[in-house]
Amino acid sequence: MASGLGGRPADDAAVRMPLRFGDDPLLWASWLYYEEGLTQGTIAEQMGVSRPTVNAYLAEARARGIVNVEISPEKFSGLSIAQSLRDHFGLQDCLVIPTEGVERPLIPRLGEAGARVIARILRSGDTLAVTWGRTVLSLADQIGPLDLKDVRVVQATGGTTARIPWTPEACASTLAKAINARAIPISAPAIVSSAEVRAMLMQEAVLAEQLAILAEADKIVMGISSLRPESTIHTSGFLDGTMQLAHYQDAVGSLAGRFISARGEPVIGPMHDRTIGLTLDQLRRIPQRIAIAGGLDKVAAILAALRGGYVSILVTDIATGRGILSAEGYREPPRRSAPQSDAPLPARMEVKKFINDPKDAVDEALRGALAAHEDLIAPVPGSTRAVRAIDGPRPGKVAVVIGGGAGHEPAFWGYVGPGLADAAAVGNIFASPPPDPIIAATRAVQGGAGALFIYGNFSGDVMNFDMAAEVMEAEGVTVRSIVTTDDIASSPIELRTSRRGVAGNVFTFKIAGAAAARGLALDACEALARHANARTYTMGLALEPCSLPETRRPTFALGPGDMEIGVGVHGEPGVERRGIERADACADLLLDRILSEMPASRGDEVALLVNSLGSTVNFELYIILKRVRQRLKARGLRVHRTFVGAYYTSLDMAGVSLSMMHLDPELKELLDHPCRSAALTILPEERITAKAT
Amino acid sequence: MTHIPNAGQSAIIEELAEVIVANKAWLSEIDGKIGDGDHGSNMAKGFGKAAERIHGKDMSLDAAMLVLSDVLMGEIGGSMGPLYGLMFEEMAGALKGRDDIDADAFSAMLHAGLAGVQGVGNAKVGDKTLIDTLVPAVAAFDAAKGRGFAAALTEMEAAAERGRDSTIDLVARIGRSSRLGERSRGVLDAGATSCCLILTSLGASFRKRLS
Repeated sequence: MASGLGGRPADDAAVRMPLRFGDDPLLWASWLYYEEGLTQGTIAEQMGVSRPTVNAYLAEARARGIVNVEISPEKFSGLSIAQSLRDHFGLQDCLVIPTEGVERPLIPRLGEAGARVIARILRSGDTLAVTWGRTVLSLADQIGPLDLKDVRVVQATGGTTARIPWTPEACASTLAKAINARAIPISAPAIVSSAEVRAMLMQEAVLAEQLAILAEADKIVMGISSLRPESTIHTSGFLDGTMQLAHYQDAVGSLAGRFISARGEPVIGPMHDRTIGLTLDQLRRIPQRIAIAGGLDKVAAILAALRGGYVSILVTDIATGRGILSAEGYREPPRRSAPQSDAPLPARMEVKKFINDPKDAVDEALRGALAAHEDLIAPVPGSTRAVRAIDGPRPGKVAVVIGGGAGHEPAFWGYVGPGLADAAAVGNIFASPPPDPIIAATRAVQGGAGALFIYGNFSGDVMNFDMAAEVMEAEGVTVRSIVTTDDIASSPIELRTSRRGVAGNVFTFKIAGAAAARGLALDACEALARHANARTYTMGLALEPCSLPETRRPTFALGPGDMEIGVGVHGEPGVERRGIERADACADLLLDRILSEMPASRGDEVALLVNSLGSTVNFELYIILKRVRQRLKARGLRVHRTFVGAYYTSLDMAGVSLSMMHLDPELKELLDHPCRSAALTILPEERITAKAT
Repeated sequence: MTHIPNAGQSAIIEELAEVIVANKAWLSEIDGKIGDGDHGSNMAKGFGKAAERIHGKDMSLDAAMLVLSDVLMGEIGGSMGPLYGLMFEEMAGALKGRDDIDADAFSAMLHAGLAGVQGVGNAKVGDKTLIDTLVPAVAAFDAAKGRGFAAALTEMEAAAERGRDSTIDLVARIGRSSRLGERSRGVLDAGATSCCLILTSLGASFRKRLS
């Protein structure tokens, strides 16, 4: 900060724009960046603006067509073919290099590209299996030392004839040496003379140990061989003699010494039981499978490997990639012309997130949550989106099943556990789960006393939970549904039943969970849950929108000095927007709306939840709480319990919601009933002294 | 021609999926203005997945619609999962067992789809939902049926587009955006827009095969 200020000329005149840019800062910034080659930091100093501003100028200059950035046609083809291959075959990634126009032959260039890929994806502690061939050896020759620890490189097969330089031993040992990894050989020939010899060799302790390491491979780098006479598989001494060939008529290619048909299915011939090394099944189970192969003679073999799902990352060249795609009936799309727009660009372009592939985000987060809380929750077998409490269904106990979209973590799995919900169903981001996981969750936990569904009032949730309820009823399980409606911002009081269900759900889950844990019947549990919902009020306000993993863009735009009042938990815009106020005024705004509806008299007791909508920190929540408590004290309302933190979020939205449950003796007792879950635990021995606040 | 065969028409659903996937960003952008902005990605996920399952298989149109319905109902969730899931399930039911699909069969299919949507949602015309596209499109098809199948399809597509555009001036009365009241006026409804894409894609696929 200080150095930035110090470097800036004190005299304003000194930062005046040179006349030739005609008062256009976009043009000036573009000139300095693209023509003079200055860094954005230096440009910021010269122009007397901040670095982010320079960045925004450059982005806008591109959007407005002041600067035209065009990817060269050759490179563009590579990119678009790579993307099509990736999408069409469901690859993790794909790299396509130019076929011609470069001095070096294809194989060393493929090897070099493969080396770049390995350097990018290999991690400390990995076990990397390696096949053999010209391309693989070329990769091993070109890969540089990697700063990794405890990497093992293991041969994917036994050894071959030494008539070729690119034997399995050479490939694995060269690669291991180049990246400073431990080399694990397979101390046997890849092909032995009979199945009996193979069976005998496999008993050998040394070989068995080596094959066990191979079975632990996290990654494999492999060539793909065609079956032409000069191919690796032929020159390595596989398929000697026409006798053998006759058995492999259906084969179009070979991977790690195994043969596959055009459809990618294994072709089992007489060599099968004589081969020592990875089987195709084992190969397919390796999490990352990098194939490096190019050349038009290999199109059929690569296509077969892709169809069979043996490859997760492909490195090839443009002509080969195009050949593969055209065999699949694909046409290259026309190039889009550069979009030109006069619309101002949003200040924040893309939100940073810890995400692998957006489409996996919900499942990965859920898997992590299950691992973190494995003492409390477990997946329902057969369903990836249904979570149940470890302590199992209790015969005669009403099953409480909750659920909703992902993105509200720790909802909903965070409220599954003894004394709370028995199971939860999780949908996609902000989208209700379909009926299947709700049904699976209910089946897993119902104990013959009926099930209580509790979820927020959103049209998707209502439809899907209703469909699940119908199925359960048909199976003889009585289901009652509590559709929560605590969000007072979402509809006026006359339309209370059409309000959304948001953070106040936590209270309703708690009351229903306690009622069920005490062994109350379904009717009683339902009545208490409805009672809790009717006496719970929530009001929220956002300072920043959230952004979806898929788009990484804010779901709505909020001005720098604005806040959104009554915002939805899915990033839906709120009901009113106004300038941001001090924390106390914000707290008052939330509390006053709640108190205007809650018929509480002096001396009544309440439970409080000051909830983060995602990225607002406890530090600020406590400031809000301080004011809320001060106001409640002045109003003569007693706070029986207070919860502060991220209980019911909206991804990374910045903001707070205030929930208040108007207690009566019954609700108070159920609120105090012990429970244990990932997000809410109330200890049995806990003594609550209700102080007048 | 006055009809197309029902058998071997699963490509119609693949063409539909292609349209939905191509409009993913647009649908999300529309949804983001008054909803949570995930309509495009959810629709693309569901339709894309269905297309993968159908691809390369020789299926009748109703069988392909059932695959689509299963994916939408079983894996997508949200409100669009059940709404479109039931729509295609009912549409498939109306076509099941037919050798040929003529204008009467298509009309029966549209009515069945509409009934499917209305069976699970309770929106009416004017509530700023996909019903604003679907209802006038079905009516327009029926009204023009006497002038031939292809002509009726053209009318249906035009009515779907008008229906979609009518949602701009409406205030949402149902679903998530209904909580915005007046602030929901002035933008398209995402469901009405995707429903229009579905109808115009079906229309175009049928017209191509009729000529």
